[in-house]
Amino acid sequence: MSVTPFVFDPRLDLELKREVEVPPRLVWRAWTEPELLMKWFTPAPWRTTACEIDLKPGGRFRTVMEGPNGERNDSTGCLLAVEHERLLVFTDALGPGYRPAGSGFMTASVTLEATETGTLYTAVACHKDEAAKTQHEEMGFHLGWGTALDQLVAVAKGL
Amino acid sequence: MDAALDRTFRALADPTRRAVVQALARGPASVGDLAKPFEMALPSFLQHLRLLEDSGLVETRKIGRVRTCTLRPEALAAVEGWLDAQRSLWSKRLDQLDNLVLDLKEREEGTP
Repeated sequence: MSVTPFVFDPRLDLELKREVEVPPRLVWRAWTEPELLMKWFTPAPWRTTACEIDLKPGGRFRTVMEGPNGERNDSTGCLLAVEHERLLVFTDALGPGYRPAGSGFMTASVTLEATETGTLYTAVACHKDEAAKTQHEEMGFHLGWGTALDQLVAVAKGL
Repeated sequence: MDAALDRTFRALADPTRRAVVQALARGPASVGDLAKPFEMALPSFLQHLRLLEDSGLVETRKIGRVRTCTLRPEALAAVEGWLDAQRSLWSKRLDQLDNLVLDLKEREEGTP
């Protein structure tokens, strides 16, 4: 029985529990096979266009996400824990081989548990205190933040 | 907006300051009462308070001879807004994940 490895801070962290009617094996594949992860990792209109996963602690976890207006976010992180079909932990605060990256803003984990009908999985994202909002903004998930306003102004100027 | 959010996060990055914010969430309090639970010299505590004021999280007013602190929820709302955006990202992400794995399962079962 894996336990989420974080000390949870409700001010900065997120926890999402989901139950899905497929065996843990398939959920695990979706999290650990690059060609599958690319299909779900980024909400539309953004796309994950490249992904590298070296499935071992210290291994590379890289995603390249591209936005509808040519934005590109290339993030290389590091896997911290890999328990087959049970637990995956990765961070962008360290590079491959645990080398400090100097930036980074998130450590995320997913914990899988088999249920009678499928899989209960818990995703946790724990964030740095001073949230690296630049990354967050580039990603275009700003709900009413400055960047959205900048884009609006740019569009308005082009009218 | 962004510089303000940075200041807010910096202000909240310290356990003493978080405890002050929590105390003020229960209602306004005097500086003296706020400082009581902390084992630190008053000047150190006032420094924490100043950071909280600079971040816009806390407002202090002098009423008579007492300085009273009040929480400004707008600044906290900005932090919550950021977290909501992250939550929204992960929710959409996991919706897509669920669809994908259900699809994988169907393909496994459906291939004769």
